Amino acid sequence: MLQLKNVDVCYGSFKALNNISMTVDTGELVVLLGANGAGKSSLFNAISGLNKPSAGDVEFEDRRLNGLKPNAIVSGGVVQCAEGRKLFPHMSVLQNLMLGAYVHRRDRAGNKQRLNEVLELFPILEDKAQQPAGSLSGGQQQMVAIGRAMMSRPRLLMLDEPSLGLAPLVVKQMFEIIKQINSLGTTVLLAEQNAFAALKIADRAYVMENGQLVMEGDQETMLGNEQVRRAYIGA
Amino acid sequence: MNLFFQQIINGLTLGSIYGLVALGLTLVYGILHIPNFAHGALYMVGAFMSYFLMMDLGVHYWVAMAGSAAIVAILAVLCERLVFHPLRNSPPIHDKIAAIGILLFLEALVQMFWGADFRRLSSPFTGILNFDGLIIPEQRLLIIVGAFVLVAALQLFLRKTMIGATIIAMAQSRDGAFLVGIDANRVAMMTFAISGVLAAIAATLYAPINLVYPAMGHLVIMKAFVIIILGGMGSIPGAIAGGMIIGFAEAFGGFYISTAYKDIIAFGLLVVILSVRPQGLFAKGAH
Repeated sequence: MLQLKNVDVCYGSFKALNNISMTVDTGELVVLLGANGAGKSSLFNAISGLNKPSAGDVEFEDRRLNGLKPNAIVSGGVVQCAEGRKLFPHMSVLQNLMLGAYVHRRDRAGNKQRLNEVLELFPILEDKAQQPAGSLSGGQQQMVAIGRAMMSRPRLLMLDEPSLGLAPLVVKQMFEIIKQINSLGTTVLLAEQNAFAALKIADRAYVMENGQLVMEGDQETMLGNEQVRRAYIGA
Repeated sequence: MNLFFQQIINGLTLGSIYGLVALGLTLVYGILHIPNFAHGALYMVGAFMSYFLMMDLGVHYWVAMAGSAAIVAILAVLCERLVFHPLRNSPPIHDKIAAIGILLFLEALVQMFWGADFRRLSSPFTGILNFDGLIIPEQRLLIIVGAFVLVAALQLFLRKTMIGATIIAMAQSRDGAFLVGIDANRVAMMTFAISGVLAAIAATLYAPINLVYPAMGHLVIMKAFVIIILGGMGSIPGAIAGGMIIGFAEAFGGFYISTAYKDIIAFGLLVVILSVRPQGLFAKGAH
C-alpha cells in the first residue's frame, strides 16, 4: 500500500533521513520505533508532503506522492495525526472534527455518518463537543486529534507519538483504540517511543536510529529481540 | 450635553473607519504573519478607484463602491501572489521591505495618473438628520451602519462557512490546517482579498467627508497599526475595540483638548496601554 524507496530528507546540510526504504501493506498496523530525534517525524512529514524528499520515491497505492501538495495527499487517503496534536485550540471540539472532513466537505451525509463513527470510538467527545479544544485534558485532546484525522477518512493513518505526555492509564486506553481503528479496516503506521505497548498491538515494526532504519521484523521477533529489549523496552 | 453626543457620533464614525482598516490588517497579520505596510496604499487606491468610477465613468456611489472593492481585492490578491507568496520562506524582514515597496509603488502609480492634488468624492448622502438638536450628517450615519453591517457579515462568514472556518483554522494552527488538507494558497488569497475589500469600502465611505489624495493612507495605516498592537496582533475583536478606542479618543481629545493634538492622542494612548498591558488588550489568537 505504502512504499518508500531510498528516501533522503535534508534540512540544509543536515541529513535527517538517510536512504529509507519501507513498506506498509493494506490492513497492517506497523510500528516505527526510535528515540527522540531519530527521524520519525521527518519521515511522516516526508510522506505527508510537509517535507520534500531530496532523493527517493514515496508511493501510495502505486501513485507517486512526492511532489504532491499536502492537501492532495490528504485527499488521496494518507492522513497524519501529528506529534503535539496541532489542534485549533479556540475552536470547539465539533468544529475541529468537522475541519478534519475538509477535503470531503461536499459529502455532508457521509461526514455526518463518519462523525457518528468517530464519536462512537470516543464517546467522551460527545459531551465535550461544544467546548474549545484547548480547554480539554491532554488525553481528550489526543482523542480529538485522532478523531479529526479519522474524519479525513484515511486509508493509511499515521500517528506520531500519540502517547506522548499522557498518564499511563490513558496511554493504555489510547493503544486499545488504535488497535480498534486498525481492526475496523484502517491501515495504521504508528511512531512510538513507548516500544513495549506499541509492539503489543503491532503486526510488524521498524527501528529507526539517526535517520536510518536499522532493524525490521514482525511482532514476535521484535519482542524477543535482545537488542530491541535492551534499547527500547529496558528489560 | 448635545455637544457631548455630537462627539460620540464623531467617535463612532472615526472608530468605524479605523476598525475596518485595522480588521484587514489584523487578518493578514494573524493568518500570514505579514505586517502589510501597503495596506494604507490599498485604502488609498480604493478611494481613487471610487473617485474614478464616479467622476469619470459616472456610475452611482454604491456601484462605485462595489467596483472599487472588487478592483482592490484583485490588487491585494496580486500583491500576495506576485510579492508575498514568493517570499514566504524568506526572513520576515523581507516581507516588511516588500510591503513598503508596494506602498511606494502604488502611491507613485496613482500620482502618475491623477497627480498629487486633493480631490473631493461626492456622495449622494449629503443630507443632515436632526434628532431634537442632535445633528447627524447622513454620510456619518452611513459609515457607522455600514461598518456595523460589514463586521457582522465578516463574523458570519468566518463562523458559519467552511471557507471562513479554514481562515480561522489557519490563524490558530498553521500545521493543523495543513494536516487536514487545507490549501494554504487559497486561504492566503482569500485573506488578502477580504482585507482589500474592507480597505476599499472604508475608503469609499470616509472619502466624502475627507479628501482624496495619494498620501491619504499614511496616517490611517499608522493608526491601524497602533490599533492592532493595542488590540493584540491578529485579534478580530481587538481590532474593532481598538478602532473604537482610538476613534473616541480622537473625537473627545480633539474637542475637549485641542484638534491640533488629536493625532498625537492615538500614539500617546499606545504608550500608556502598552505600559500597562504589553501583550495588547486582547491576547493573540483570541478569535
